[in-house]
This record gives sequence, structure tokens and C-alpha cells, in this order.
Amino acid sequence: MRAFLQTTLAVFSSFSLAAQTPTPPAQPANNGPLGVPIPPAGTLVAITNATILTASHGTIQRGTILIRDGKIAAVGTDVQVPPGAKIIDANGKFVTPGIIDAHSHSAAEAINEGTQSITAQVRIQDVLRQDGTSLYRQLAGGTTTLNILHGSANTIGGQNAVVKLRYGLPVDSMLFDGAPPGIKFALGENVRQTTRPTPTRYPRTRMGVEDVLRDAFTRAREYQAEWKKYDAAKAAFDKAKQRGAVAPVPPTRDLQLDALVEVLEGKRLVHCHSYRADEILMMLRVAKDFGFRVASFQHVLEGYKVADELAAAGSGGSTFADNWAYKLEAWDAIPHNAALMAERGVVVSINSDSDERARRLYQEAAKAIKYGGASEETALRMITLNAAMQLGIDKRVGSIEVGKDADIAIFNGHPFAPASRVEMTLIDGRVFFDRATAPTLEWLIQRMKGRPRVTSEDAR
Amino acid sequence: MIKRLLHISAVAAIATLAAQDATAQTRAVAIRNATLVPVTAPRIERGTIILRGGKIEALGANVVVPSDATIVDGTGLFVYPGLIDAGTNLGLTEIGSVPGGEDTREIGDFNPQNVILTAVNPHSELIPVTRVDGVTTAVTNAEGGLVSGAAALIDLNGWTATDMAVVPRVAMVVNFPSANPGGFGGFGGGGQQRSAAERRETMNRQVRQLYQFFEDAKAYADIHSRAQGLKSDQKFEALIPFVRGELPVIVDAASADQIRGAIAFADSLKLKIIIRGARDAWQLAETLATKKIPVIVGPLTQAPANDEPYDLVYANPGVLAGAGVQIAFQSSDASNSRTLPYHAALASAYGLNSDEALRAVTINPARMFGVADKYGSLEVGKVANVFLTTGDPLDVRTHVRHVFIRGDSIPFTDRHTMLYEKFRARPKKP
Repeated sequence: MRAFLQTTLAVFSSFSLAAQTPTPPAQPANNGPLGVPIPPAGTLVAITNATILTASHGTIQRGTILIRDGKIAAVGTDVQVPPGAKIIDANGKFVTPGIIDAHSHSAAEAINEGTQSITAQVRIQDVLRQDGTSLYRQLAGGTTTLNILHGSANTIGGQNAVVKLRYGLPVDSMLFDGAPPGIKFALGENVRQTTRPTPTRYPRTRMGVEDVLRDAFTRAREYQAEWKKYDAAKAAFDKAKQRGAVAPVPPTRDLQLDALVEVLEGKRLVHCHSYRADEILMMLRVAKDFGFRVASFQHVLEGYKVADELAAAGSGGSTFADNWAYKLEAWDAIPHNAALMAERGVVVSINSDSDERARRLYQEAAKAIKYGGASEETALRMITLNAAMQLGIDKRVGSIEVGKDADIAIFNGHPFAPASRVEMTLIDGRVFFDRATAPTLEWLIQRMKGRPRVTSEDAR
Repeated sequence: MIKRLLHISAVAAIATLAAQDATAQTRAVAIRNATLVPVTAPRIERGTIILRGGKIEALGANVVVPSDATIVDGTGLFVYPGLIDAGTNLGLTEIGSVPGGEDTREIGDFNPQNVILTAVNPHSELIPVTRVDGVTTAVTNAEGGLVSGAAALIDLNGWTATDMAVVPRVAMVVNFPSANPGGFGGFGGGGQQRSAAERRETMNRQVRQLYQFFEDAKAYADIHSRAQGLKSDQKFEALIPFVRGELPVIVDAASADQIRGAIAFADSLKLKIIIRGARDAWQLAETLATKKIPVIVGPLTQAPANDEPYDLVYANPGVLAGAGVQIAFQSSDASNSRTLPYHAALASAYGLNSDEALRAVTINPARMFGVADKYGSLEVGKVANVFLTTGDPLDVRTHVRHVFIRGDSIPFTDRHTMLYEKFRARPKKP
């Protein structure tokens, strides 16, 4: 699909975290929208002297991460750095897996095809766009992967797109190659159009929402059976090759039901917007009756009330850290939700659902420590490994382990400490954000005063 | 795990509150062996602080504990002055989408006469949730129109709104007009699109109206100070201390144009203003510092525009403080007023000195609102709004263990802890 477009890439002279002047490129730089050079791929990189929060195997003090061809080749305290490797000296810095946001609406031209109750045929992938500099700002918060979802206007929404924030490259090359496809479902007030003076569409009640789901999957099953019947007849026809025999006629292709059949067959992950415990249980019953698993309940603000049922069904919970009281169905939301669901065995992630919040998910995750007493590693997993598990990409990303993609955030302090910020963000071992060369307010002010760029590191 | 969850029953909580009301005036509370962080003075290791009669009676390393004092063991804990949210709607709103609970917006552009305490619900479920995270005091106000009304400074505890009031009319709130497209056309929305020229025209008209209104109020104040028996006007009457520059006017202004306009407005009418919101204030940092105009920043949970530096909103407070501007933070939120210290934390990650970040949620707002003699730091004689933590209140990982408002121990029971305890105790199915 994408095979990183290697054309005329500007080359960083080195990746030191300290201030530096990039070497002027020999040819016109292939700059991203911010004028920031697009980093080269395939370089041998070593992040040294780092406090590494692996998210899977605890913390490594003064460790090294060796990156080869965009993958983590070695991690530990006794890693030999081969000659020629670009060194990122992370002395005094904290390194975490790139942050994964399991609920985003960034980079999409449109997110709600809400005219019908079921729009399983529409795809976020078809409306991806660069979206200004929002993606860059999320990178600057250590976020590397987004689950871009359809909105919550209707019961069965459109198909998602999982992307890596390869900011500056064409949008198509941001798609996360190999991520399982998904689809957005939604329950509750948004679907019922409770804020509209005159609702325009069935369903109006939570009963209607269940009916829409059952009706859709009943039709999907019948459609699936038609195709199975046809496939069998076609196979028999092809095998017999009887002269004069009439080839079987295929059923009419239905793109909406195709997506739902994929759900029935476990090939498409359901990410279901939900608030109240009752509607969560309804969705679990419907899924059980039709034999599929809900990969994640999104928002799931009352998930703590039915955590055992979620855990038993193998469904993840992807929630806000502390949003509540903004509508009636968020009235029983508690900030302890994430920690309590996790305590009872649910795979929990904390998501943004916001271009703004996606820039500081590390601060949001720390709230699981404050409310409900999650450990620091559990909280870190809520924005890394657990989100990867919910999206079915945990073999590729979500922790700092040998063989995984080198998607990494480097902080100037512990990611949960108050004065910490992201210094550098790597995707596939490529530095897509570097505060030392990023357009910061400090830099802008210096430029307005006609001064050359000096970073705060130099000032010290 | 979390000690505060040990007190559970609401009945017990109410009983505690009643008992404390009766005894707070007499019995002392002694917090011993804690690290005291006075904010306006160096921290005191292994210190003791005595609360009595709703005030701080004594604090220091060698304070004698009165024999009648209730002892709170502060070993391993830190004592801070209660945090002050310089902008919220606490008490005026309950569930955002339920109109019946909303008293945040009045009809009309000029409502200086409205008494906000009338609408503050002292029993809002949002208040207990806020104060157990250390926010003990707040500037709460209505929004909307050009003059939204006077803000009240309230302590987040009390049987009635009058009980809660520290200063019932602490500042007048003005929304400085803007030509920016307002409103959101998102989900279920879609307002009328107006051209830039139309928006500018509206802005110019509103600015003229604002000037006229304040000039009229000034004239009214002048005439009424010299003549008897004149007919009174509720709106102008309410503005008198503000147009005389005795009390501050909070001007909500985000863009550089709005802030410039607000400064000119204040200069012209000789008002004592506080700029609030102040997203673009970094551009005018030196002017604001020279004119000694305080700035309330926040919420920091906003994204910059596409052509702006990625860290603009986070770095703005540090630039202001660095230029010598007095800053405070607001949550600009009710349900998450409790996140106030985390706005300051974001700023401290992007250039704001950590000590100044703490001052900006304690003593600085107290100074801006004229209550620094009673609030904002741990000092003898000040109101006993203090809280005990396991660490830096700007660190999300820090737990709050005890909160005292006017010397009363605040129960750690709120809507959230009660739901948490209830469902944490849900029996597992066999």
C-alpha cells in the first residue's frame, strides 16, 4: 500500500536532543506542511541512557533501545550500539511507547453519515485528509497511532481507519498497514437524537436501538447464507463443467451487509459508543446472540457497574479520564471508572475523542492513579498496550519490546509528572517530532524580536 | 488504598458537618508533623499548624499543640492553602444537557444587576467532588451577553449560598466583543453563517454599546452622589463600585484584538480590570506588565490555530509571568473545576516556573480579588482553608487526604466516591 515515499528527504545531521542547527539539505528539502523536514526511513538509531517505561516489562534504568529498519532490535542495559548508528542521548529523559488513542475523529473530512440508522458501508478511509496541523500537535504530545472512528449519530456507523501519525507524508501512507478493520456502533442519547427538537429518524428509544441492531444482523445472516449457498453452487458448477448447464446467479452485492457479515465472521472489530450500563448489557446480549465479540466499548462511562460482564465477554473499555455531568447519560460517570474496570479484569484504555485532549493523554492516564489507585504501569498501559489490544495491533505496537515497531515518545521527565513534556516522537524509528527544531512559541517570540533561534536548553 | 473512602455514609457526613459547625468556633485542630507549604514563605519541614474558629491560629516548626485540639497526623503529608479557581460556573449548572438545571445565561446583553448568589445551589453534586481535590474557593459567575453580572467569591462549603459567600459581588464580568465567528456548527448544530463584514459590524456596535453603558453608569454614579431623591436604576446602581474603580471588572478576552480593546476600554473609563481567558496575551505581555493588569489564563485545554506554534496555549502563562504579569488560572468549567491544578501543571511543563504555577492557583487570585489578607497562603489569622496531600498538588498522581474549609473537616463523600464504593463492593458472580 504505502511503502514510505522515499524521494528527496531532508536529512538530520544528528538526533541529539540538545539544540542544533540542521545541516542545510543538498537538494530542495521535502518538507512537511510546517516546513519541518520529513525524516528518513530505515536508519539505524540508538536511544541511549534512557529511563525506559516499557509498558510490558516494567522500567529499565539507563537503558538503550536499538532500532533497525523501523523495528526495535534490542532493549536493555547491555545493548551494544553498532558503529554508524544515529545516537539519541536520552540521559535524564523518560522513554515510553508511542501513545495510542483508541478514539479519535482527527484527519477526517466528515465523520457522521447520520441520515440513516445503519451506514456500515461508509468508510473513514475515504475521507482522510491532512487536517491542518492538528496531527502535528498530537505528535507533539507523544501520540503515534489513532483509531479514527465514524461519529455516534447512528446505531451502526461507518468503518474506521487506524493510522500512524506520519505527519508530512501523504495521507494514504498514514494508514496502519495490517490493522484489523473496525466499525463504529453507537447507543444512547446521540443515536436517539435527544437534543433535537424534532427527531428525524428511527430509533427514538433504547428499545428501538436494540431493534435496529437485531434487524440488521438478522438480515446480515440471511445475506451471508445466500452467499454461502451461491458459493457452494458456483463451486459445484465450476467442478462439474457441464455443457449447457446454467451458471448460478450471484446475490446482489450489498456493501452495508458485507461489513456486517465481516463482523459476524470476526473479521471486523466493533467499537461501540455507549454510556449506560443497561445499554452495554443490551449490546452484549445482541453480540452473544449473533455470535460476535464487541472489541471495545467506547466512553463506557458506566462500565464500572458491569465490569464483570465486560470482562467475561472479552470486551475492552475505552473511556474518558474524568469527563462527567455534561449530559444525563454522563451523570453516573466517575473518574474511578478506568481503574475499577481494570481491577475487575477489563482491558481498559483512556482515549481522547478530541484533537485537543489527544495532545496530553499522558496527563489523562495519570488520573487512573489518582482515582482508584491504578499502578503507574497500569496507567501507562491504558494509553499504549491496552489500546493496542483493543485495536488488535498489540503484536506491532503498544510496548517497548524487541520486534515491535519503533513508535516511541521521549519525555523530559516522568510522563505523569507535572512539569513533563514530550521532547521527541518517533514512528517506525523516524523522528517525526523534535522539540529542538519544532516551531514553538519561544521560537516565534525570538523570531519576532529578530533573534536567531536559541532553545531553552542552550539558555541553561 | 485511598483513606478518604473510609468515611462513607452520607448520614454520617451530614452529622459530621453539623457537629463541626457547632465546635469549629471552639475546638482547635492541630495538624502535626507535616511539611507546611505556606506559598508566601519558605516551606516548613515537620511543622505544625493549628486551626481554630475557622482561622489559622498558629503554624511553625515549634508550635505548642493546645490541650483541647483534635490531632491530625500529618506524617508524610504536605499542607497547602486551599486552591482558588478564578473562573467557573459552580453552583449554576448541574447536568449540561438538562436545561432545567442551568442558570448560567440570562436573556439580554446587560445584566450587572443580577445577584449570582441567588442562583448558586449550595447542594450541587458538583461541589463536593470539586473540594475533595483541594479546590476550596472559587470565583463563580454567569456568562453570556456583554455584561454577564457580578461574580461571587465563594468557599465550597456551607448550608446556604450566603454561608458560602466570601465576597458576594467580587468582580463584574464583561465579555469583550469579538469579530471571530462564534458558536459551533458541529453535531446537531449549524448556526447561521455570517460574513466577516457582518461580524465586524456587530462587534463595532457592541463595543459602542459597552462604552455607552459604562459611561452612562459613570454619569449615574456621579449625579447620584451629588443629588438626593432621584429615581434609581438597578443596572447602573449595581455598577457603581465598578465604574468608580473600587472593585475589579473581569474582561473575558481571548484574542489579541479583544485584549487590546479591553485595555483601551479600561484606560478610557478608568476601570480596574482583570483580563481573563487571555489566549493571545503573550503578544501584549509587556504592556500588561507595565499597566499592572492581572491576567487569568485558561482553560489550557484548548488547541491553538493551524498557523500557531503547537505549544502556544501551554506556553502563554509562562511568557506572561516571565514578563512580570500577575497570573492566575481558571478552569472555566463546573464539573471539572477540580482539574484546576492540572492547567497550571501544563503551563509548568512549558516554561512557567513551578513555584509561580502554585502561586497562580493560591495567593495570586486572592490578591486579584482583594482577599489576600484572608486567603491564598498559610499565615496566622487567615481563613483556615487548607488541604493535606501526599505530594505536589499539580501532580495528577498526588492524593488529597484531608480538606478543611473555614476550619471544618470536609467529608470525603461525594457522588463519585459513593458510586465507586457501591460498585466496587458488587459481589462477583460465582
